[in-house]
Amino acid sequence: MIDSIYIAWQYIRFNKIKTATLIACITLISFLPLSLQLLLGESERQLMSRAVSTPLVIGDKGSSLDLVMNSLYFSDEVPELIGMEASERVMESGLALSIPVYARFHTRGNPIVGTTLDYFDFRRLKVAEGRNLAVLGDCLLGARVAENLGLKPGDSLLSSPETLFDLAGVYPLKMKVVGVLQKSHTSDDLAVFVDIKTTWVIQGLGHGHQDVTNLSDPTLILKRSESNVAATAKLYHHTEITKKNIDSFHFHGNTSVYPITAVIAVPYDDKSGTILRGRYLSRNETLQIIKPEEVIDGLLQNIFRIKNVLDAVISVVALATVLAIILVFALSLRLRQREIQTIFKLGCSRLTIARLVSAEIFIIVLTSGLLCGVMILVVNQISNGLVRMLFIR
Amino acid sequence: MKTIEGLSFKRKMFFFGALFVLIHIAALPGISYSDTDVQEKLTIYVVNYPLKYFAERIAGDRAKVVFPAPSEGDPAYWMPDAETVAAYQKADLILLNGANYAKWVRKVSLPRSKMVDTSAKFKDRYITAEEVVTHSHGGEGAHAHESLAFTTWLDFDFAAKQAGVVMETLSRKKPAAEDFFKKNYAALEHDLLALDNEMKSIAAKNPLLPLFASHPVYDYLSRRYGLNMKSVHWEPDEFPSDAQWSELRAMLKKHPAKWMIWEKEPMKESTARLKAIGVNSLVFDPCGNIPDQGDFMSVIRRNGENLKPAFQ
Repeated sequence: MIDSIYIAWQYIRFNKIKTATLIACITLISFLPLSLQLLLGESERQLMSRAVSTPLVIGDKGSSLDLVMNSLYFSDEVPELIGMEASERVMESGLALSIPVYARFHTRGNPIVGTTLDYFDFRRLKVAEGRNLAVLGDCLLGARVAENLGLKPGDSLLSSPETLFDLAGVYPLKMKVVGVLQKSHTSDDLAVFVDIKTTWVIQGLGHGHQDVTNLSDPTLILKRSESNVAATAKLYHHTEITKKNIDSFHFHGNTSVYPITAVIAVPYDDKSGTILRGRYLSRNETLQIIKPEEVIDGLLQNIFRIKNVLDAVISVVALATVLAIILVFALSLRLRQREIQTIFKLGCSRLTIARLVSAEIFIIVLTSGLLCGVMILVVNQISNGLVRMLFIR
Repeated sequence: MKTIEGLSFKRKMFFFGALFVLIHIAALPGISYSDTDVQEKLTIYVVNYPLKYFAERIAGDRAKVVFPAPSEGDPAYWMPDAETVAAYQKADLILLNGANYAKWVRKVSLPRSKMVDTSAKFKDRYITAEEVVTHSHGGEGAHAHESLAFTTWLDFDFAAKQAGVVMETLSRKKPAAEDFFKKNYAALEHDLLALDNEMKSIAAKNPLLPLFASHPVYDYLSRRYGLNMKSVHWEPDEFPSDAQWSELRAMLKKHPAKWMIWEKEPMKESTARLKAIGVNSLVFDPCGNIPDQGDFMSVIRRNGENLKPAFQ
């Protein structure tokens, strides 16, 4: 047997291109379905684990998928905004803990998630380095954000403008990095967390500026009356919140109608959850309450339906590849007629010929298997990030 | 009396054995009642002294009530540092006054699940402060920074309602002690409603009596007890400027008040000059911060006594 393998090996070494092509074909055809299965399994795990751990999400009546993807995985697709009173309504119902989420803005390619401290308890997120959010302008980094951007507590981070050409828009806010969260292997690792009020400052609903009632520079005043002072656009706005200027920061109007993207509702028990869901069934209701598990389950059903189609395509391609390989071997045997005749003349049996060909096939399949195994291992290592890149963000 | 050295070996072994068993029994969980009680104590952080007083009266020894604002100054305008905010975050309960009291609450991160707005039940009856300067800049409309009066507890009926919210919250947090909280609340409510009646009877003696307030902090007191009050913006520890005196003289023409109500004991120079134009001074401490002497009840009762001469 060793002799056969030796001769097959020498033959393979001589026909490098043919062998490499065969190995590539077999490797790819076995790698594709396996890697797809692996990635889909990982995506199912990631999507479902987070969806299952989030009991209810309340948001505007629109795409429930956008709402879930934005509030759970901080996807770029921002659902229609709702008012902060939606969060208060849940809290006042006494049926659930209400966690507002405002995932709309970005900083250096990472989502800024405005929420309350209850979010961290709910997701069991712990601060690995630094401290928790304390004052307006503080931000907490997800573990991967800190790694990727090379930031640590004490550094600062600038919010990105929503559009490149928004020249007359709100100034970016320089946020102070106060802590880094422990790795959670979820979307939280890729987010920058701030207090919900800080997102309103980023949006320009809250800001700090010079005291307009005590302005001495006449170019800053547009109009002054007993009850109103109108300042010009020249009025200096603070772009960073510090101990010195925090007193000047204020919010315009009623903060209870300020925008958020969703409310995560955590019912105190099953009965409370059912009652709460019932309160959003009215036709006149402008909000929807959804169970993320059901939405993600629907999404996965679609993904698996697509996967079945892909499996069928891959099966046909695999069959065609196997037939092509058989053809290659058959043609190669015909081309090697003189070589086989010589082996016969040397006194070898038909079995020896079969052993030689089998040894060749064995070496090719074994090499393909090893290559496929290595590639699957690599995919397995990066599947977490790959799934996030391909399916979630 | 025999010492341990004097005992036989067997008796010594029995003595130490018994001691060993006793020590271990005492260390069993649930045996040391005092330790368990301390562990079960709620930690309540508040934003002003009236809430501290209410919480302490209702919770008794079942809670540790913390009000970390410095004793000087008005807690409504205090800004805690990051460490103090962290302490608030770790509390079991954070009692807020509502009505935009303690502006710092809107500038820090606190867990919503622990925050209780004690005046939310009567938020439709908040008073919008009269003296507000609005401003506008950029493309935005006019907006005001301060618009709500916040000394809600000076309406003692509201104070009782706020105390009621404290009681309900404590009962939810510690259902086992609900009866204890209810009993303590009943006593507090009785005291607050007695103050309410006392104030009503004082004000009823001369309902149209014009009064000045040195600071616009008596809106709820004024509305509840029908006081005919106008406010200026004077500090007790600062002598008013000429412009402020002129403003007062102009106001006196339309509002001939004989008394000015101060938050704290004013400067002698201020009272003397007021006296010269026929305006007496009295102190009605809103008691937003921990008083130097006495407690909330005694301070408010003293306030009532201070008011009496004005209405006679």
